Amino acid sequence: MITRALLSVAIAWPAALISAAEPPPFRTAVLPVLTKAGCNAGACHGAATGQGGFQLSLLGYDPREDFDRITREFGGRRIDLDQPGHSLLLRKSSYQIEHEGGRKLPRDSSGHALLLRWIARGAPYGPAELRVTGIEVDPRDSLIQNTGESVQLRVTASLSNGVREDVTPLALYTSNDDAVAEVSKSGTVSVTGRGLTSIMVRYSGQVAAARIAAPLGGPNQEILLTPAANFIDEHIDAELLRLRVPPSSASGDAEFLRRVHLDLAGLLPASEAARTFLAEPPSAEKRLRVIETLLASPAFVDLWTMKLADLLLLKGGSEEAAAYHHWLRNQVAANAPLDRVARALLTTTGELTSAGPANFLTLANDPRDLSEHVSRIFLGTQLACARCHSHPSDRWTREDYHHFAAFFARITREGGAIHIAARGEVDHPSTGEPLPPKPLGAPLPQDAGDDSRLAGLSRWLTAPDNPFFARSFVNWVWMHLLGRGLVEPVDDFRPTNPPTHPALLDALAADFVANGFDLRHLVRTIVSSHTYQRTSRSLVANKSDTHLYSHAFLKEIPAPVFADAVAQVTGVPDVFEGYTAGVRAVQLVSPATPSPALDVLGRCLRTGPCDGPSQLGGGLAKALHLINGPTINAKLRHGAAGALRDRSSRDAIEEVYLRAFSRAPKPVELAEWNVLLDRAPNRSAAFEDFLWTLLNSREFAFNR
Amino acid sequence: MPATPRSFPLRCDGVGRRDFLHLGLLTTFGLSLTDLFRLQARAGDPSAHSPRAKSCILIWLDGGPSHLDMFDLKPDAPSELRSQFKAIPTSVAGLRICEHLPRTAAAMRHAALIRSLTHELGNHDTGTRFMLTGHRPGPALEYPSLGSLVAHTQGFREAMPPYVAIPNDSAGGNSNAARSGYLPGAFNAFNTGNDPANVDGLHLPEGLSFARSEQRREMLRKMDAFTQASEEGPATRNRDAFYEQAYRLLASPEAKAAFDLSREDPKTRERYGPARVGSGCLLARRLIEAGTRFVTVVDTGWDMHQHIFKELPDSRFPGSGKLPALDRAYAALLTDLHERGLLESTLVVLMGEFGRTPKLNAAAGRDHWPRAGSVCLAGGGIQGGQVIGATNRFGEHPVERPLGPPDLAWTILQLLGIDPGQELTTPTGRPVKILNEGASIAELL
Repeated sequence: MITRALLSVAIAWPAALISAAEPPPFRTAVLPVLTKAGCNAGACHGAATGQGGFQLSLLGYDPREDFDRITREFGGRRIDLDQPGHSLLLRKSSYQIEHEGGRKLPRDSSGHALLLRWIARGAPYGPAELRVTGIEVDPRDSLIQNTGESVQLRVTASLSNGVREDVTPLALYTSNDDAVAEVSKSGTVSVTGRGLTSIMVRYSGQVAAARIAAPLGGPNQEILLTPAANFIDEHIDAELLRLRVPPSSASGDAEFLRRVHLDLAGLLPASEAARTFLAEPPSAEKRLRVIETLLASPAFVDLWTMKLADLLLLKGGSEEAAAYHHWLRNQVAANAPLDRVARALLTTTGELTSAGPANFLTLANDPRDLSEHVSRIFLGTQLACARCHSHPSDRWTREDYHHFAAFFARITREGGAIHIAARGEVDHPSTGEPLPPKPLGAPLPQDAGDDSRLAGLSRWLTAPDNPFFARSFVNWVWMHLLGRGLVEPVDDFRPTNPPTHPALLDALAADFVANGFDLRHLVRTIVSSHTYQRTSRSLVANKSDTHLYSHAFLKEIPAPVFADAVAQVTGVPDVFEGYTAGVRAVQLVSPATPSPALDVLGRCLRTGPCDGPSQLGGGLAKALHLINGPTINAKLRHGAAGALRDRSSRDAIEEVYLRAFSRAPKPVELAEWNVLLDRAPNRSAAFEDFLWTLLNSREFAFNR
Repeated sequence: MPATPRSFPLRCDGVGRRDFLHLGLLTTFGLSLTDLFRLQARAGDPSAHSPRAKSCILIWLDGGPSHLDMFDLKPDAPSELRSQFKAIPTSVAGLRICEHLPRTAAAMRHAALIRSLTHELGNHDTGTRFMLTGHRPGPALEYPSLGSLVAHTQGFREAMPPYVAIPNDSAGGNSNAARSGYLPGAFNAFNTGNDPANVDGLHLPEGLSFARSEQRREMLRKMDAFTQASEEGPATRNRDAFYEQAYRLLASPEAKAAFDLSREDPKTRERYGPARVGSGCLLARRLIEAGTRFVTVVDTGWDMHQHIFKELPDSRFPGSGKLPALDRAYAALLTDLHERGLLESTLVVLMGEFGRTPKLNAAAGRDHWPRAGSVCLAGGGIQGGQVIGATNRFGEHPVERPLGPPDLAWTILQLLGIDPGQELTTPTGRPVKILNEGASIAELL
């Protein structure tokens, strides 16, 4: 590994800015100075109501408005063309007079000089169409060996007139994790810890990111890799090697079996199945066989229907939700290609009680709200910021936002049905002009014979080359299986939040598209990898790794899966109001199905996104519930306890261990519980206590 | 209580929950049991910072209470601004507040009214974060709420959870504002739900003796010890901490009784009123008495974009509506605490995320207005019977003694004996001051 430790280079002002011939253009030269100084930050004049009577657009997204505020508002009192040095703009920012924000642009600063020169030359706006069309950051990827070492980022802006200029001193830099790397105002990155992060770079409405890696192990750290099972391992291993992190060994059969059952079917393996599997000599082949069995099982359909229903926020009146859920379950059962599922969700109209997927469009009435749901769910992208101003950490403008919202302008809900109206527009927030629908970052594709806005949208969205759809979906599946998204949070794709493994994300997406958007193929590919099948036991040298998959990350068990697992171990099923006996928590249609237990365990209510680790629900309340509440306690006496307590202690202990943990008890465990059960004055009670203990244990609580 | 999903991103401040979610993740980094015990030990230690208040009850008016229609009426303003309500005299000479707060008016001698709270964050999410954490929300770090800070720095008193939310901690449109920020999830509020006496799991299941419950606990210790070495991480440490807290609570009959309002004299219940905010305030008093340090009573429904003069005192049903319910609850809490000799040691804070627009909108409502808002503080050793700051003649912005959320947070923490300048450490080892701006509001002390 070569260490790239570029020394910080003396910072020069961009050549175009110091050219003396022309007055500096407002948008591409003056505004960046103000942005860099923090004048239009959200906490200062960029606040929605401004500050001290002076309002600027957040980070300068509205140059025309800012120009007017600076040069025209209050009779132009902020600049003084006759005596430029007396301009309020300069005297305030250099703190020659009282300024609550303090000294932002000292008199000897180059920024001050530029503003002064701009005013002296008449404070013009400059060429009307001149703008920054893109920025590049270099190096985009840095490996920094030692704490304290640094690298200087260089930022180049491309202007609409073809000029490229170095804007390093004027770009804004933010570290995405300052426990790994910090960045100075001038773009010098220094490593503060170990791991992987990125630096967000912003300039004149454009964004980019530079990835920073600091190896966890020293150059002598031995990295032993096994041959890759598939392309996933190649990408993951390459990064482990680059960052000097040794991977943990493969999971044992018991660990694998429990994990893959919980992940693919939302159930624990039956004790008999576990016994058979564990008795067979270890082999990759027998693992693949289990994977195929699970992929083909009805439980897979139940679990992934629930996951998709959580993603889609499936809820609603009982008949509507039932139709919607029924349709969704059929799609998963038939392994319908996900692009087709998405198109159906976006274009189905009609009666909500019969046309199941039409319910998707009821997520919101306002086209803008609906567009935010659609972009989050199908594109993994957060648009909301761009509703009021340019997205501060993405490239979307208010125009982009409203163009996109226009796709949803003609949806109407009459009675219990979704219709498409002949009219309906989304207007430009400032001009009030109706905006035609336009996809994010792309022109509208040619229509294929029908002129519906939603058909156009769905064609763009599910096209094989759509940059968002496949990536965000594979990332979502990856997160559910590996415990962490390659992009995290999974619904926050943006250039400033790069994936931990960009090439892997691309490869997974390409493979998903090439295989017809096949969910089972995707799941199979991921769980067949060594990466997925590693043990969760960490090594001293990889314990601190949280991004690189050197060991399996512990996963919280989703509330309904946990409830079902308790029912499985105890042999006492839950009965849910309005459902026939035997329906499991994972199979529930509506998140509003009354169940205080699922509430306290932390189920997804589908009122907002539920992916990712929740620090809600759970906590002390969940602990109390598991200790004393009915989820566990109401199930101890009957079912398993009744059937097993008459068997020999050893038999019963082994059976419960297999059910709960998919493994045999260790000798020390067997000895402990044997003594307890055999000596207990009340064997039934002792058996209940034993069951209670296993269900409350740390081992049971997680998917490891 | 229902488990709550992650909140929607906020709208327009440009700082979404997304921006700090990667750090939010760190809050799952646990605190070990030793940490918890250390905290308990420290709690018993008379610190250099001697508190005036032992505990705090925060009544959170979620949505943004209208300063112009409650505590800062402008009878001389033009009709498109002015409240339709009359101002009535209070127990403080010269101070007048809304006619629909008569009991509060009588109790104002206990309270200090701040009329000049101001900030610039007009979204529920960001405004609430700012008010409840004392920090402007930023992309770098999610900050802990005041309640979580109290729980963290002072730990348990008796067996009571140090920070409790009634009915839950979903303030600010279910933002994370009232939650633990960069502190471990163990410092989140304990949510009582809507049926506090029957908080799930607070009582042993039928037929289970205390001795047997203890035996189960011992078995669980053994079980977890068998697997301890294999994997331990932030998530498991967090779980362990919660189990530890649960067992402390379960071992204390007094603690459990505190959640049961039926043990309260019916006359006292009547005094607080039948509304949720009434029973919430009464429960808060019981919890404080039993040892909880910080209780947040969340009262929703103050975001009145429409028909504000109908909504506040519900004109269809005389005596009902937000103001009469709050009036009864708030005044009862102050006088009850006073009669019990607890007001000196209990700080009571009444506030929401911001004030509301002076100008009425087309729907006869008022929109968000962070530039001006009113806050009431009482008890906890503060100087009552005073008004701090003033807004201009239309209630648009402070003209006297402008105070920001950091000043308020600073003062509350200081009253509770916590040094706001103290440094804490994030899970990544980064040192962070509890507050990095703000100053104590001297008039209160």
